[in-house]
Amino acid sequence: MILDIKDLSVVYQTDMEVVHAVNSISLSMEQGETLGLVGETGAGKTTTALALMGLLPERTAKVTKGSIWFDGTDLLSLSERELQRVRGDKISMIFQDPMTALNPVLTVGDQIAEALLLHNVEGHSRKEIEARVEETLELVGIPKERKKDYPYQFSGGMRQRVVIAIALVCKPDLLIADEPTTALDVTIQAQILSMICDLQRKYKTSVIMITHDLGVVAETCDKVGIIYAGEVVEYGTLADIFEGDVHHPYTVGLFRSIPSLTGSARRLSPIEGLMPDPTALPEGCYFSPRCKQCMDICKKQKPKVYEKNGHQIRCHLYQQTGTAGEMEGSGGR
Amino acid sequence: MLRFIVKRLLYMLPVLLGVAFLVFTILSLTPGDPGTIILGITAKPEDIASLNAQFGYDKPFFIRFVNYISDIVLHQDLGLSYQSREPVIQSIMSRFPNTLTLTVLSMSVSAMIGIGLGILSAVRQYSVLDHVCVITALIFACIPGFWLGLMLLMLFALKLDWLPPYGAGTLWHFILPTITVSMTSAAGLLRLTRSAMLETIRQEYIRTARAKGASERRIIVRHALKNAMMPVITTLGTSFGASLGGAIIAETIFAMPGMGTLITTAIRQKDIPVVMGSTLFLAALFSIIILIVDVLYAFIDPRIKAKYQNGGKSRE
Amino acid sequence: MLLSIRELRQSTRMEGRAVNKKDRDGSRTGKRTSQVSEIWRRFRKNRAAMAGLIILSIIVFFTLFADLIVPYSKCIDQVGAERLQWPSMRHIFGTDEYGRDLFARVIHGSRYSLFIGVATSLIALVIGAVLGASAGYFGGMVDMVICRIVDVFMCVPPILLSLAVVAALGTSLQNLVIAITISSIPGNVRLIRSVVLTVAEQDYVEAARSYGCSHARIIFRYVLPNAMGPIIVNTTMAISDMILSAAGLSFIGMGIQPPSPEWGALLSGAQKYMFSSPYLLLFPGAFIMLSSLSFNLVGDGLTDALDPKLKD
Repeated sequence: MILDIKDLSVVYQTDMEVVHAVNSISLSMEQGETLGLVGETGAGKTTTALALMGLLPERTAKVTKGSIWFDGTDLLSLSERELQRVRGDKISMIFQDPMTALNPVLTVGDQIAEALLLHNVEGHSRKEIEARVEETLELVGIPKERKKDYPYQFSGGMRQRVVIAIALVCKPDLLIADEPTTALDVTIQAQILSMICDLQRKYKTSVIMITHDLGVVAETCDKVGIIYAGEVVEYGTLADIFEGDVHHPYTVGLFRSIPSLTGSARRLSPIEGLMPDPTALPEGCYFSPRCKQCMDICKKQKPKVYEKNGHQIRCHLYQQTGTAGEMEGSGGR
Repeated sequence: MLRFIVKRLLYMLPVLLGVAFLVFTILSLTPGDPGTIILGITAKPEDIASLNAQFGYDKPFFIRFVNYISDIVLHQDLGLSYQSREPVIQSIMSRFPNTLTLTVLSMSVSAMIGIGLGILSAVRQYSVLDHVCVITALIFACIPGFWLGLMLLMLFALKLDWLPPYGAGTLWHFILPTITVSMTSAAGLLRLTRSAMLETIRQEYIRTARAKGASERRIIVRHALKNAMMPVITTLGTSFGASLGGAIIAETIFAMPGMGTLITTAIRQKDIPVVMGSTLFLAALFSIIILIVDVLYAFIDPRIKAKYQNGGKSRE
Repeated sequence: MLLSIRELRQSTRMEGRAVNKKDRDGSRTGKRTSQVSEIWRRFRKNRAAMAGLIILSIIVFFTLFADLIVPYSKCIDQVGAERLQWPSMRHIFGTDEYGRDLFARVIHGSRYSLFIGVATSLIALVIGAVLGASAGYFGGMVDMVICRIVDVFMCVPPILLSLAVVAALGTSLQNLVIAITISSIPGNVRLIRSVVLTVAEQDYVEAARSYGCSHARIIFRYVLPNAMGPIIVNTTMAISDMILSAAGLSFIGMGIQPPSPEWGALLSGAQKYMFSSPYLLLFPGAFIMLSSLSFNLVGDGLTDALDPKLKD
C-alpha cells in the first residue's frame, strides 16, 4: 500500500466561521494504481489533495484529526523541511489551471530544472540536469528547443504539458492530478489524459485523479471514491461504481444527471437542491436533505459504512437490512 | 533591447515638444506683458513697448513658441530673467545640483526603506513587525511632508542643535530635507510593495513552486520577488515626481537654494521666463526618468522584452 | 442501461457546462440594494475603516457646523493682549501672533481643506471618467489622441503643473482648485481607461452589444457600474492626496493666502514662531494628518469591502 489516508478531517477557520471541508475521509491505494476522486465543486477533493502535499493554507486550514501514511511515514508528522524533501520528489501535483500555474518571468526550462535541482541528492551536474529537462520536455510532446521560452509563449494545452513535465521530472511515486483537463479544450483534454496514462504506465506512478467528470474517471481510473460534503460516500473499483448493482443514492444521482447520446430519450434528472453549507452541516447523513430515499433515521444518525468485497457505501439503506440484494431495486440504475 | 530604447527615445521627442507647448500655453495665460511687469504700469508706453520687443513679446503666440523652442534647441537658451536679466539657464544650473542631490538621495532612501520593509512586512504577514510597518506607513503617508520637515527642524536643528537648520553645502545640510522628502514616498512604496508581494504570494505559480519542494526562502527570492517588483517599478517614475515635488517644498522649509526656491520666488516676482525654463527643465528630467523606468521594466518582464526584440510586434 | 464510456465523456462535459451557466445566471440576479448592504456589512466589520469613518464624520461635522461651534468672528478678532498664548481653558489650542484663537481658526480652516479635497477629486473624477471611458471604450483614434495628451501631462511632475497654473492665474481659492485638479486629471484618465478596458472586454458587454444596445446605454448601464469599485476607492484616496497637496501649496505661499485660516497657510505663518510657540504647528498639522488619514482608512476599508477576495 503506497498511500493510506485514515480518518482525515480538515477545517478552514476564518474570523466568522468554521468550514468543515473534509470530514473523516479514509482512502487507500496500491502502487501503480489510479484512484479517482469524484465530486461536485466544493466537495473537499482539492483540500484532501493539498493536505496530502502539506500545502494547506497555513493560517486558515487545520487538520483536526487523522493520519496520512505514505510509504510507511505519516506525512502529517513531518516537519516543513522534511515535507519539502517529499514534495516534488516523491509526491507531486498537477494543478487545474495551466494559465496561472507557471511563473511568468522564468523560462519553462528553468522551472522544470528547478524541481531536479531541489532534489538533487545524487549530485548531478548542471549538464545532466539540462539533458534530463530536454528529455522530459520531449516526453510530454514539446520540442526541447523551446525550453528557453517563457510560459506566455505557450498555449493552454502546451502549458499543461509543461506543468506535467515539472510534476514528473523527478519520477514521483505518487502524482496528484487536480482536475488536470477542466480548463482545456475538449480535443486537448483527451491528449493530456492519454499522456498522463502513458507516463504513469512508463514510470509505474500511482495517480490520484481528481475530477467532477465521470467520463474522465471511466477512462483513467482503477479505483473510484465518490466524495460528497467532505465525505467518501462510495468507494470501489471502476467496475463496482460503473457496473455494480448497489450504489449510494448520490452516485445514482450523479449518473442520472448525465445525458445519454444513444439510449432512449429519457429526461435528464439532476439532483435537486444544493450541497449543504459546509459551515453548518446537517445532522445525520449529509446527503439526506437531497436524497429521494431519505428515511427518518437518515436525519438523525450518521450512517456507517456498508462493505462487500471492498465496495464500500456509506448509507443507511444497506445497514437496515444487512443485505444488499433486497435493496437492488432502489439502489441500482 | 537597443531597438526598444531608441524607439522610446524617439517617442520622447514629440512628448517633450508637447510638454513645452503645454507649459508655454499655461504660462502665456499670465495677464500682462513683460514690459509692464518689469517697469510697472506707471512707466512710459514707449519704454514698455521697447522692452516687450526685446523679449520678443510683440509677436503672436505661435511665433513666440517657435522662437522659444528653436532657441532651446539651437542655443541651449531658455531666455532671460525679467528680474535679473540673466540667462535663465544660468540660474537653473547654479540651483539644480542641490535639487538633484536632494531628490536622488530621497529616492534612494525611500526605495530602500519602502521596498525593503514592504517585502519583509509581506513575508511576515500578521507578525508584530508587519503590524508596526503597516501602521507607521499609514501614518507617514498622511503626514504632510512639510509638517514633518518643520518638526524635524525644530527638534534636531533648533532644540538639539545636531544638524544645520538652513542652507546647503555639506552632506549634513541634506540629512533633514532628505528625511522630510523620503518618508512620505517610503510609506507609499511600503504599502504598494507589501500588497504587491502579498498578491504575488497568493498566485498559483507560487503553489506550483511549493509543490516542487522549494523552501520558503527560495519561493520568496526566486519566484515572488521579480513578479512583485513589476507594479512597484512602474510607480517608481511617479514616485520620483513626488520626490521632486517634496524637494521643492522642503527647499523652502530649509532655505536651500534649489529649483523649488527658484520657482516660488520667480512666481512671486512674476518672472515668467524663469518659471517656464525651470518647469521645462525639470519636466525633461522627469521624462528621462520615466524612460529609464520603462527600460528597467522591460528588462524584468519577458513579455515586454520579447515584444521589442521581435521588431516591435507582439507575439501574443 | 449502462452508457458506453466514450459517450459518458462527451455527455458529462455538456452537463458541466450547463451547470456553470446556471450558476452564473443565479449570481447575476442579485439585487443592487442587497449588494450595497453586503458591502456595508463587510465595511462595518473593519475596525480601522470604522475609525476612519468616525474621524471623518467629526471633521465633516466641524465643517458643516463651524459657525455654531465657534463664531467666525473669533477667527479674525485680534486681541493684542492675548498674543501667542499657550493652550489654556480659554483658548484650548492657544492663540497666534495676532491674538487670534487658534481653535476657531483650525475649525473654520477645515472648510477649505475639505472643500478643496472633495471638489478637486470630484471634478478630476468627472473629467477623468469622460476622457478615460471614451478612450477605453471606443479605442482607435480617440484612444490614441487621449493617450498621447495624457502622456504629455504625465511628463510634468504634478506639483510643477500646479505651480505653473498658479504662476499664470495667480493665487486664490479658485485657482488653487484649478491647479490641483489639472495635475490629477491625467492619472484619473489612465486609471479609468484601464478599468473600462478590462470591463469592456467582459462577455456581458459583448452580449449587450450583440442585442443592439446604444453606446451610451452600454457605457452607463454596463461598463461604468461594473468599473465603479476601483474608481470609488481611488477617488476616496485621491481626496486625501488633494488635501495634502493643497496644504503643501498653501504652505509655500502658492495657494490660499493668509489671513484665511487654511491649514497649510496657518502652518506657513506659524514657522516664524515655531520655537517659542510649537503648538501653532502642532494643531493645524494634526488636523491635516487626521483628515488625510480618515480618507485613507475609509478608502482601505472600501477596497476590502468591495473586493473581499483580496483579504485572506
